[in-house]
Amino acid sequence: MKVEIVTVRDGEEAVVEFDYARRSEDERPMVLDVLLQAQATTMPDLAFRYGCRARNCGVCTIDVNGRPIIACRARAREGDRLSPMATLPAVADLVVRRDGIARQMRGRLQTAQGNDLNVEAPEEYHELTSCIECYACLNKCPMHMRNFEGGLPGDMDPADRPDPAEGYRWGNPFSLLKLQMIRLDPLTAESGREAALDNAIDLGLDACVGCPGCKCGVGIDLKGLVVKALVDAAGDRLPSPAEKALKRAS
Amino acid sequence: MKIEIEWQDYDVIVVGSGGSGGQAARAAADAGANVLSVSKDPVGASDTKISEGIATVRGSGAEDDTEDVLSENLKMAGGDLPVRAITDAFAKDSTSAYDRYRTQGLRPTIKEDGSGPEARPLPFGGHTRRRSVGHKNSGIAFGHANWNAIVQGNRVDYIEDAWFLDLVTEDVSNGSGPKKKIVGGLIYDAARGVLIAVRAPSVVIAAGGLSSLYFPNTDTMRGNTGDGYAIAARAGADLVDMEQVQFLPFCLASPPAYEGLCAGEPVMASYLGVLRDKNGKIILDSVFLRTRAECAAAILRAVEDGRGSPNGGAYLDMTANKELPLSGPYFQRFGETCLPSSYNTARQALGKKAAKFEEPWEVRPGAHYHMGGIRADANGASAGGEGDGDAAHGIAGLFTAGGAMGGVFGANRLGSTSLTEGAVFGGRSGQAAAAHARETWGRNRDAAFQPAIDQVNRRFGQKGTLAAATLKLELQQEAWKNIGPVRTAEKLDRMDGLIAECTARLDEVAIPAYGMWNQAFIEFQELRNLLDCAKAVADAARERDGSLGGHVRFDRKTISAFSKPYSTVVRLNDDGWQVARLERERTPMKRLISYKVEDTKRKIQLKWLRMLPKGVKDRKLLARYQAIMGKGAVEKVSAPAISIGSAEAATGESTRA
Repeated sequence: MKVEIVTVRDGEEAVVEFDYARRSEDERPMVLDVLLQAQATTMPDLAFRYGCRARNCGVCTIDVNGRPIIACRARAREGDRLSPMATLPAVADLVVRRDGIARQMRGRLQTAQGNDLNVEAPEEYHELTSCIECYACLNKCPMHMRNFEGGLPGDMDPADRPDPAEGYRWGNPFSLLKLQMIRLDPLTAESGREAALDNAIDLGLDACVGCPGCKCGVGIDLKGLVVKALVDAAGDRLPSPAEKALKRAS
Repeated sequence: MKIEIEWQDYDVIVVGSGGSGGQAARAAADAGANVLSVSKDPVGASDTKISEGIATVRGSGAEDDTEDVLSENLKMAGGDLPVRAITDAFAKDSTSAYDRYRTQGLRPTIKEDGSGPEARPLPFGGHTRRRSVGHKNSGIAFGHANWNAIVQGNRVDYIEDAWFLDLVTEDVSNGSGPKKKIVGGLIYDAARGVLIAVRAPSVVIAAGGLSSLYFPNTDTMRGNTGDGYAIAARAGADLVDMEQVQFLPFCLASPPAYEGLCAGEPVMASYLGVLRDKNGKIILDSVFLRTRAECAAAILRAVEDGRGSPNGGAYLDMTANKELPLSGPYFQRFGETCLPSSYNTARQALGKKAAKFEEPWEVRPGAHYHMGGIRADANGASAGGEGDGDAAHGIAGLFTAGGAMGGVFGANRLGSTSLTEGAVFGGRSGQAAAAHARETWGRNRDAAFQPAIDQVNRRFGQKGTLAAATLKLELQQEAWKNIGPVRTAEKLDRMDGLIAECTARLDEVAIPAYGMWNQAFIEFQELRNLLDCAKAVADAARERDGSLGGHVRFDRKTISAFSKPYSTVVRLNDDGWQVARLERERTPMKRLISYKVEDTKRKIQLKWLRMLPKGVKDRKLLARYQAIMGKGAVEKVSAPAISIGSAEAATGESTRA
């Protein structure tokens, strides 16, 4: 099975063809199996992230044919093109720099404020804790793209890109999910709930108005459980879809 | 090549951002220290996050679960190798440490009377009480809490994609003679292509695990390259019980993408589960009362005798539970919910029939956890000296927690204890590290960093013909064969030769001359750590002259629980690797005997149960399941434990657009 792997070394990009040798006739390898075999054979210094091989750690996300997938649980197919996630700046081969996302949450996370820890969280809370932070949801997110002048990091001159070490200015479905978790947690005080909503608006929640919606790598209903919940709570504080369309037209 | 170097100052560096590192960083910061959390994987992406998410919470399932009961349980299960002060600390803090996770967002299911978290229905293998609390979304729920603990800020800074290379120490002299103290550490920040020299009086090593020393694959994170042990050993710290590698017995043997992932624990086998060889002969009964080590050893003996399954394992046969008409449905429900994440993996890999427990599962052991580690006191401070040792004889300013710490579990770790371990000793070591930083005055000489910096600069741009990643794979395969789940004197000798050979080849590894994410350098550094760990494991394994817990010698007898217990200790000094024994206190004979009697009694009762006529057996089991799970357990609408939207909605799991 032949695939193409995009590699970046010391800033130089190249596309390398790799021929995967199936270990049995009926083997349907995952994308990660292909990368591991490439590393064990012809590309020993291939840089890529992986962790648990079981879709739990969330670090092995790469783009296959231009769409983000979790490499350990997505099957590879003949002719696939493997490249680093386009939504974050590439560092080496298939490795992207992720930390600009988490850093934007610094100072925005609330810890529990209630005294009695023995309270049950609602089912929605647990649906959100199934997020593995794979960042597949950044794909086509207009809020996230504001960080890169409305495009992708690759479209910008590296010198003009925002510094991830500062934390990105604009949010994304993952950061909204973390904020919505705070809002759903029964141990969060009312003030904490309000702060979480303020933070969502500050991170650019208005970008969600009129957006067709985000897709989750592990299948969480981001649009319903996160985005709609926050947009509804924000109410008048966000422009309506009509106002937004008008603004765009002018 | 000279890499750009940055200097930074902190009170405490925490190496590793998993369960123990997250809790240590938070505890140190809450105690007033300025903390730097460093991890090579993205923040919080750790074994805690990918675990089954079940924690030991004392008292959650039994009224009489006193501190003494839990501490003694851990110590005896560990073959009397654990340090009693450490198991006492575990028992004392298990509940409060778990509650810290709850303040960071962990939300368990609460008992109906609202008194606390609900424990799983059966005691986990080797536990004398019910006290294991499970969580929705398994370890991922803990991952969120840890992430919150670090990312929130509040005096914790963090860097990810950064390899902590070595500790920097200085020699000092105190009342008990010459001694080393920590002055900081050197970090390779791969994402920015710079070296960071951090001046800090305290360092907490919370980067445990060495299962990536072994290939075939395991159920743990790729990053488990033994960094914590190797870094501490190179700084002169004692490592204890390094021969005690825990192999999970029931990992999947196929298909390749699932190989090594955990399919279940002994408890899952329930009352009637047994292990069989390829001829169908029972090689271990009463599986659910056995420790992981007992199960792994039984499988490997069958493999070694040529009675193993096609992929080098044995069969976990739980069909007898399922075929009983009344209790069978209860068992099905139990099997699905006992370890939901493992069950899910097994279902995907083995198919529908296996998922209904209608056919045996092919399983084989896989490296999972390392019981050995940095020798420490009950606060995680590096310890040295005779017997249980003390911090006065350790490295001043060095602390450890979680999988990196030794002396907690000795020869065997019970299921569900590691998340609690990370929380308890993360909290303790963080506080102790902050206190040490407060007491330490004076600026250190930056000159102490120079040898470590020079060493790194020499490696970048090293000419050679070998790839570290390739050598790593060779080492992993040999480690599995020679210092893996089965060991003999001959194997240990062979391993020594291989380690020497591979170490000599480190100078022939090609490393290009650029700073930004230099994968060859990263592989080189991890290989170096793996080699130090392999040496420590091999030396300790030779010293441990008989089978005990995770250390299985096929050419020696099993060490009796009634003999005088000892731990192995290895250290690296100017004369090379040294190995010695540390005497441990044996549990009083009376207690030891009653523990054994209890254990035997439970196994005999189970044997009786198995031999009863089918109808009687079925009714007895039905009563038991109903007692532990509730009468309506099978009628309940089965809510999936991992409540993701739907497989179709998971865009990350298909390359189909």
